[in-house]
Amino acid sequence: MKRWGLVLLLLAGCSAAPAGTPGEQIPPFDLAGFQDSLTSYGRPTVVNVWASWCIPCRSETPLLVEAHHVFSDRIDFIGIDVQDDQKSAAAFLAEFDVPYPNFFDPEATIRTALGGRGVPITYFIAADGTIVDTHIGVIDEQQLALQLDELLVRG
Amino acid sequence: MEFTLLWAALTAVALGWLALRLTPGRSAGDADRLMGAAAAGLLAGRLGAMILAGVNPITHPLDIIIVRAGVDTRVAAAAALVTLLLSTRDAIIIDRLAPVALAALAGWHGGCVWRGTCLGTASNLPWAMAQPGSAVTRHPVEIYAAIGLAIGAWVVSRLSASPWLKTGAALAIAGGVRLLTQPMRPSLSGGPVGWYLAALVIGLTLAGWSQLHGHPTPDSRLDEDGAPARLDDPAGDGQPQP
Repeated sequence: MKRWGLVLLLLAGCSAAPAGTPGEQIPPFDLAGFQDSLTSYGRPTVVNVWASWCIPCRSETPLLVEAHHVFSDRIDFIGIDVQDDQKSAAAFLAEFDVPYPNFFDPEATIRTALGGRGVPITYFIAADGTIVDTHIGVIDEQQLALQLDELLVRG
Repeated sequence: MEFTLLWAALTAVALGWLALRLTPGRSAGDADRLMGAAAAGLLAGRLGAMILAGVNPITHPLDIIIVRAGVDTRVAAAAALVTLLLSTRDAIIIDRLAPVALAALAGWHGGCVWRGTCLGTASNLPWAMAQPGSAVTRHPVEIYAAIGLAIGAWVVSRLSASPWLKTGAALAIAGGVRLLTQPMRPSLSGGPVGWYLAALVIGLTLAGWSQLHGHPTPDSRLDEDGAPARLDDPAGDGQPQP
């Protein structure tokens, strides 16, 4: 589990630009690339696994965007688009104006490695790489705010 | 996730059913009215959540059935109330159902136990609870709400039979309990406090109006067993009025 905590820490530190313009390619998931682009780490991170065809993802994405606006100075947000195609995913990001970095993982490598199935899944990871909570299914505002508070308290 | 949501819904139905069983004068149509109002509220709340999230229900019709993707409780509550009012305008029936609805709402909040969603803001109170693996203890805020609503249901059921009094009191209690517990709920936006306040004010206004214009007393149309009194024998003493 620690190994995957490290992977997620590396993810947290990546500095890829947000994807969101229709037609724009979402950066593929590449661990080596993340390691190279690693610029900072040590902050709590929220990793949201989604797909453009996922109906519940449409409901929770605006909430995650709002949370990012509130907590982006203290918590990193990352989206992982799984089992999807680039065109649909880019349109999804543009529709919801997603400001945080998103990565393309068509084989759902991270999710599988973490033992997750289906979408959406949201991982809340403390600054030390510990997974504080794994929320399977759509997350509501109260639960999202609770887990973000938990992340901030743990540091 | 879906199964925990289902268990919470079943808890609400179970408490509502129990409260209805304990309600004197209930009729065969009461459960249908309540379920109809709940179903209409669920549908409207789901549509409301979609629209508020920027999802067009016409272009994404399949999204409607994915209830777990979100239900807007404000729209759902308003739609359920309107549906109930459309199903009957009889203050007796609606007043009779008011504490039952509060009990069902208490069951929904208490259903947080199945969903693992009872906790709120951090607290050091002796009964505060922590998430698994966490040292941070928190208010079990949804349990507070469930207890408040359950007590409210009992209080409302004991109120006098002045028309619309129980309905107004139930609305005020539902809004008031949510309003009181809201500061203990973690939230990004502060929550729909305005809606809770509106429910509280409308409920109190309705209850106050009922007290000022509290005649006739509709429950006088029921005998001690809750059955409708005979029109020619309103006193129930076997002596028809001349």
